[in-house]
Amino acid sequence: MSDSRVAITGVGVVDGHTSGLTSRLLDETEARRLSRICQFTVAAGRLALGEAGLDPRGDLALLVGTEFGDMVSTIAFVDGYLRGGPVGVSPLLFPHTVMNTMAATTAIAVSAKDLSLTLNAWTVAGELAIARGAAMVRSGRVRACLAGGADEPPPMVVKTIRAIGGGADVRGDGAGFVVLESLESARARGVAIQGEVVGTAWRALPARPHGIGRGVDSRAIAAALAEAGVGAEDVGHVYTSASGDAERDEWEEALLDRALAPHQPPRRSLGLAAGRHSGLAARVVATAAAEAGDRLALVHAVARGGNQVAIVVAGPGSRRERSSPRLTTERALA
Amino acid sequence: MKSVAVTGLGVVSPFGTGVKAFWEGISSGSCAIRPITLIDTEGFRCRIAAEVPAGIAGSGRRSRADRMALAAAREALDDAGIARAERADAALIVGAVGGGMLETEAWYWQRTRAGAAPMPRALTSCFPSSHADVVGSALGLGGPRETIVTACSSGAGSLALAADLVADGVVPLAIAGGVDALTRICFMGFNALKLLDPVPCRPFDRERRGMSLGEGAAFVVLEDPQRAKSRRARIYGELAGYGMTGDAFHVTAPHPEGEGMARAMRAALEQGGVAPAAVGYVNAHGTATLQNDRIEARAMRAVFGEGRVLVSSTKSMIGHTMAAAGALEAVATVLTLLNELVPPTARLENLDPEIGFDCVPHAAREVAFEHAISNSFGFGGQNVTLLFRRAA
Repeated sequence: MSDSRVAITGVGVVDGHTSGLTSRLLDETEARRLSRICQFTVAAGRLALGEAGLDPRGDLALLVGTEFGDMVSTIAFVDGYLRGGPVGVSPLLFPHTVMNTMAATTAIAVSAKDLSLTLNAWTVAGELAIARGAAMVRSGRVRACLAGGADEPPPMVVKTIRAIGGGADVRGDGAGFVVLESLESARARGVAIQGEVVGTAWRALPARPHGIGRGVDSRAIAAALAEAGVGAEDVGHVYTSASGDAERDEWEEALLDRALAPHQPPRRSLGLAAGRHSGLAARVVATAAAEAGDRLALVHAVARGGNQVAIVVAGPGSRRERSSPRLTTERALA
Repeated sequence: MKSVAVTGLGVVSPFGTGVKAFWEGISSGSCAIRPITLIDTEGFRCRIAAEVPAGIAGSGRRSRADRMALAAAREALDDAGIARAERADAALIVGAVGGGMLETEAWYWQRTRAGAAPMPRALTSCFPSSHADVVGSALGLGGPRETIVTACSSGAGSLALAADLVADGVVPLAIAGGVDALTRICFMGFNALKLLDPVPCRPFDRERRGMSLGEGAAFVVLEDPQRAKSRRARIYGELAGYGMTGDAFHVTAPHPEGEGMARAMRAALEQGGVAPAAVGYVNAHGTATLQNDRIEARAMRAVFGEGRVLVSSTKSMIGHTMAAAGALEAVATVLTLLNELVPPTARLENLDPEIGFDCVPHAAREVAFEHAISNSFGFGGQNVTLLFRRAA
């Protein structure tokens, strides 16, 4: 296994407020045939790749995190049957009922022929896809990847989730990706480096499905910091996954309090302002890197049921001394 | 990739609960495809599938798919002899597509037709990630937890991702597999695409007319080989490599030359450091659609050479179990190597001349191999090949 450093070289996020932008990024066939969430996903992918100046050359990997998949098309597919019986079932809508439809259409649109993964998880899917993508680049499994997520939760579904106690998150819709590639590759291409992913970990905390756990010991944060070769004192600020589910947000605060103690770097969340969707993770990671300065940022997310993701991010051109053996070795070799 | 040891197996299949029932069923060439009882099939061209028989363990408050996943995962962990304390660091990777949609559909049908319906608790298990949360919580699995959705290759993909975590030393062991219960959406969709055969499917046969659906779950325990040896675990075989590729060609149709499929097979062999000539058997994706079987054969010819490997389709006996298929077929491949017995392709009367491989018709065949691969391909051109090595 190689042990590459992972650079962020592009970011693209689109949502309901940027429909003009989305339409400019699609061709006529895509605009006519793709569902709204697939259009968002394709557009976000193109935006990110354009910023990275990356020619996929066929070996681009794709990781799409999603909570809901293309649930709008799924409901339309089912309604076709309920209205018209077997003859009302649309063969064209059927592929959209499988959650990998956004990844499939995006892979076709940007010629991504390496692995294409759709990761489904409550409220941490985008962060999980970015963490997985970074791990794959670091290990040398993939040369470069688009990693992020996409969601378009139908109001009926959001209402139902709330009614059955699945959390009262403020939901938005959209898609977003970061482009991750080895630092070596990014430097060789001479592209602007927006930041580095220096540590990732994802673990499951003890909790019942859809429940809030009682414990506040976080192995994911410790593992991500260890992978980065840093301590809690090196974290300058934290982006949390707070998005209006009071119980879960409170749990996350307690997890961070314990994991970073006695340090208490400032915490922010984009979920409350923008409405959470899986593509938002790309914006959070890119923003965290941009704001990191000479310190590090921690992007953290936890879901009901216990899924937890921690991503340690460094800013572009960070010169701070870190204790990472990996980084130290590279500096010595340079 | 460093090889990882397979130390536990668990299955819920249309032959019943347990690995033993599954192996007895497929090695005898039995057919579990029968008239559907779970959902209304009135007005559809195809009205058969391979359902899991009654008696799936677990609370009725859980979805059918969650119960199948839990039963199979529990069997795999018990089979591997993994104690509760060891599970805190174990990864759990689940391939899934339908989630708890069977129960959600029933609620939505009633809500739409009657104007209202009481919300069942099972609605929280609507999405595919439910299985991982239920299994992880019930079995105390505290390592990385992921649900991957790569359509019909999800189950195989889960093993590949889990193997990475073990091989890279992120975790000492992982449990990975796939699960899908029959759903109305899946049944209606494949009917609408005219991809279902009204009679039990006939992979590789000249007269084949499409696939049959099925349901089930399968999990395997993957472990660092040194760890497995030091605790004297039974090693069924090794996952020696995998390939995951994308066609980037069409949302439902595979690349006509099988380019992505061949790339997945080559990547698995390269990762395992195994020459094509060292592979004796392919557990094919083998859906029995006209297109899939021919294109898969084309891809196998490109990798192995015409007629160079034995090929059979587990789907001829248990139908296409969607996200569970890759995991069930991985278990079948491991047992094929272990038992030196290749399960047959059932109902194969007249081999399609464009296939060009010995597809082991009717009866199982005794042959010993060192390596075998299992192919799984999904909507969106999502190709996964797993390479297994016989236990030393």
